[in-house]
Amino acid sequence: MASLHNRPLFVVSALVVPLLTLAAPGVLRIGGVPPSWAVLWLLPWSLADGPLSGALAGLALGLLLDCLQLGGATQMPALALLGWWWGRLPRRGPPIERSFSLGLLAMLGSAVLGASVLLQRQAGGGWAALLTAASLHTLLAQVLVTALLAPMICSLLLLLWRRHSASARG
Amino acid sequence: MPFGRLSRVPWLGQVVGAWPLALVAIALVAVRLSKGALLSDAYALLSRPFWPGSAQKEWLQAAQQLDQQTRLSQLELDNRRLRSLLDLQRADPGTVTAPVISREPGGWWHQLVLGVGGLQGIRAGDSVIGPGGLIGRVESVTPTTARVALLTDTASKVGVWVGRTQRHGLLTGVGSSRPVLRFLEKDPQVRPGDVVVTSPASTLVPPGLSVGVIQSVDDKAVPATLAVVQLSAPVASVDWVQVLTRREAAPAGP
Repeated sequence: MASLHNRPLFVVSALVVPLLTLAAPGVLRIGGVPPSWAVLWLLPWSLADGPLSGALAGLALGLLLDCLQLGGATQMPALALLGWWWGRLPRRGPPIERSFSLGLLAMLGSAVLGASVLLQRQAGGGWAALLTAASLHTLLAQVLVTALLAPMICSLLLLLWRRHSASARG
Repeated sequence: MPFGRLSRVPWLGQVVGAWPLALVAIALVAVRLSKGALLSDAYALLSRPFWPGSAQKEWLQAAQQLDQQTRLSQLELDNRRLRSLLDLQRADPGTVTAPVISREPGGWWHQLVLGVGGLQGIRAGDSVIGPGGLIGRVESVTPTTARVALLTDTASKVGVWVGRTQRHGLLTGVGSSRPVLRFLEKDPQVRPGDVVVTSPASTLVPPGLSVGVIQSVDDKAVPATLAVVQLSAPVASVDWVQVLTRREAAPAGP
């Protein structure tokens, strides 16, 4: 199964994430908040390539994204954790491929990622600074738009990568 | 029946019959007593199609604007000269016009990426102004790009000044499109509509740049008054900005 990371083209496709984060296309936003592109790429990668590869991909994506953002907050731990968790999921039962499941997983992942960023950036001010209207708005909007995009983007990527893994196995 | 007998008096009948004339007379007296209000109003109503149109108003406004612009540029020149006399602002800031190549005014980080960088003389800490006023400060620089932390970012803190009441405050981003102005004293006597500019005592940003307008004031905030500020520059739709580069301070003369 673990053969995606042997294909340079698939690995290079991760570079689309920082590019999309920078470009931030205006149509794919809710209330001015863009989706979490890292979650949308990492979810199918981990599901198709296993926990170790998922965690490493999460770490690499986190490194890439951290150097694009202001300040000292990091997304690495949350992304690595998500990659590891999503990589372990297919072992337990039937493969995850339904749109609803993908949307739900992307929703949870985006919420975890957003909460980790929020905690790092605003924990200094106590609860009052954490639960402002602006932070709740950003969190909810990002979770919503990520979950809405996940069935479209993640299904296609998962289909492509599953087919490749299957053909690589023979 | 006294009324029946009175109505048979010949001249009184004529007087009673002339009641329309009496009404007209009363109306005239009313016009006189009200200093011609009725007449003026009727004249205004009738002559409305012939009033001076918008064209004339625009000419007057254009003339006023030109006058104000010339006075503004004159005052800016004066101000710069006086500041240099006072040795307040040693380095005259140069401006670099920069395109915005990435814009993220929503989300967790409020930032712009500009298409100019260290090669053009941009350094971290430079102020960035858009059409309408200050929008942020340069946070980091690469050879060809610069990352700008907007005033709305949670990490942004800039000293500002309310000109009308002459009070200092700290403009802090809260992650929404409107930053919060924290005053240093309990009763700063500001009200919605006051204009906020950068502090004349600030060392981080050039003094006197317009920042925004106070939108609402919370007097009961602890420990001191809070105000919500609407930025005057449209951050979400700005395409080109100007970076105020600070040259090296000239060595102080003898």
